[in-house]
This record gives sequence, structure tokens and C-alpha cells, in this order.
Amino acid sequence: MPEENKHILEPHRWVERYGDYLFNYAIVRVNDREIAEDLVQDTFLAGLKSRDGFRGDSSERTWLTSILKRKIIDTYRKKYTSKESSFSEIEPTTLDGDFYKGEEPMRGHWLEGKGPNSNSFLPEGELEQAELMEYIRRCIENLKPQLAAAFIMKMIDDEDSETICKELGITASNLWVILHRARLKMRDCLEKKWLN
Amino acid sequence: MTYLSKKMIACDEASFLISLREDSRLGFRNWLQLKIHLLRCHLCRKYASQIGQLSNTMEIYREESIHGANMQHLSPETGARIGSRISRELNPK
Repeated sequence: MPEENKHILEPHRWVERYGDYLFNYAIVRVNDREIAEDLVQDTFLAGLKSRDGFRGDSSERTWLTSILKRKIIDTYRKKYTSKESSFSEIEPTTLDGDFYKGEEPMRGHWLEGKGPNSNSFLPEGELEQAELMEYIRRCIENLKPQLAAAFIMKMIDDEDSETICKELGITASNLWVILHRARLKMRDCLEKKWLN
Repeated sequence: MTYLSKKMIACDEASFLISLREDSRLGFRNWLQLKIHLLRCHLCRKYASQIGQLSNTMEIYREESIHGANMQHLSPETGARIGSRISRELNPK
């Protein structure tokens, strides 16, 4: 990139320029205001420490977002590789007892009232965008944290499966089951929001 | 039990494959098992439709959360605290 097109860092304007953007980026992914605020602060401080390494090829915002992204993954990793809350507590089976019958001869069939009601989980007619966004947020909040981490990395960050497995320290088969369970619960939660 | 019915999958496996095909390409055997299951199960057909809808909705959520009207804001106190922390780092005494 020619020198005149290179981006420069202006740390004294970071909060004003990128504070809200980074805060929203973080809160969608960690679902906790306090943690999101800490992550924004840590991102700016890490940016200051490593500013000599900024080459100016990307914008300030892109560069800061990549630091924040790394910090969010570290947060997931710390949280879900502990003994108290590990990915290994998610049973590696497709048969989620909250949704399917466990006894023969109907083993694996939808439990009464647990299958979808229609082709859409949204209500008919006009829908307030803000309302939908709020319900999605609440449904993500209701997921087990381990499910939420993998679901967010896949569905919001659009990360490839290999990266998610590497970052969260899980196998591909674990990830498929985790995403399956997260989708089951999200769909169910969203459909119930409107029915209620 | 016929050979075919032994090869048939139940709804839990079908819904697992519906999720899996959102993220990767199904092998022929799984694809066929799912296809057959969907032909005879109206609940899993609805489920498949909703899972596709969930992917689209999450894309909207991603965009809205960063650029939409529902953006949240750092509290002024937090903004000021972070700002003064940055100033201290930039101008240490």
C-alpha cells in the first residue's frame, strides 16, 4: 500500500470513534454488559501496547476488531475449558431428551408438542425488527454457555468449523452435535416466544 | 423388519443431518437417508424449513447488532473511564 494511503492510529479518539461499535460487537458475543465493557477496555489497552506493530494496511477499526475478536475467543476458552463448565458435559448424542422420545419403539421421534408447528418460527404479518432482535438475544442467552459459544462463532462470526474446533479445543463430531443442539433450542425458543 | 426400514433414521438423526447440511456437504448415504425421512415426516420438513430460516435470521441479527437502530452504547461513565485510562497510558507521568 502506498505510504500516503496508509492508515494511522489516533488512540486519543478511539473511545469516541469505536467505543460503541466494539461494545456492540462484544455484547452480541458474550451477552454480558460488564464483560463486554471490560473487553472493550482490554482491547484498547492491548492496542496501545502493540501499536508499534500496526502497519497501516487495515483501518484502525478493523485492526481493533481483530484484537477484540481474539480476546472474545480467549474469554470463551477460559470459561469452557474449566472443569466446572466443560464441553465434555455435552452428551455426544443426537438424542436430546428434551425433544425426542427415548423409549422404543418410538425412540428418536419428536416428543408431543416439541416438534415445529409450522414452516416458520415467526408470526404471520408485519414484525418489528427490534422485537425480533431482542428475542434472538434472549434465546441465545438461554442456551447453555458452551452451546452459545459455538453457535455464535458459527452463525454470527461465520467462522469455519476447523477454526472453531481449534479455538474451543473440541473435535468436529463434538461441534456438529453442539450446533445441532443449539439450533434445536434456538428454533424452539423463538417459536415459543411468539406463541406465548 | 425389512432391509429398508432398518436403514431408516428417526427424527433425532434427521434433524441432526438437517443441521449438519447447513455447515457441510452430506455424504450420499446420509443425504439419501434424510431425503427418505423427509418424504414421510411432516414435522422434520417443518424443522428443515425453520433451520434455513434461522440461518437467514441470524445474518440479519449480525448486521443489525452492529449497524442497526438497536445499537447499544457504552455508558458515559465507562467511556470516560476507558478514555482516561488511555490518556494515562499515552502520557505517563
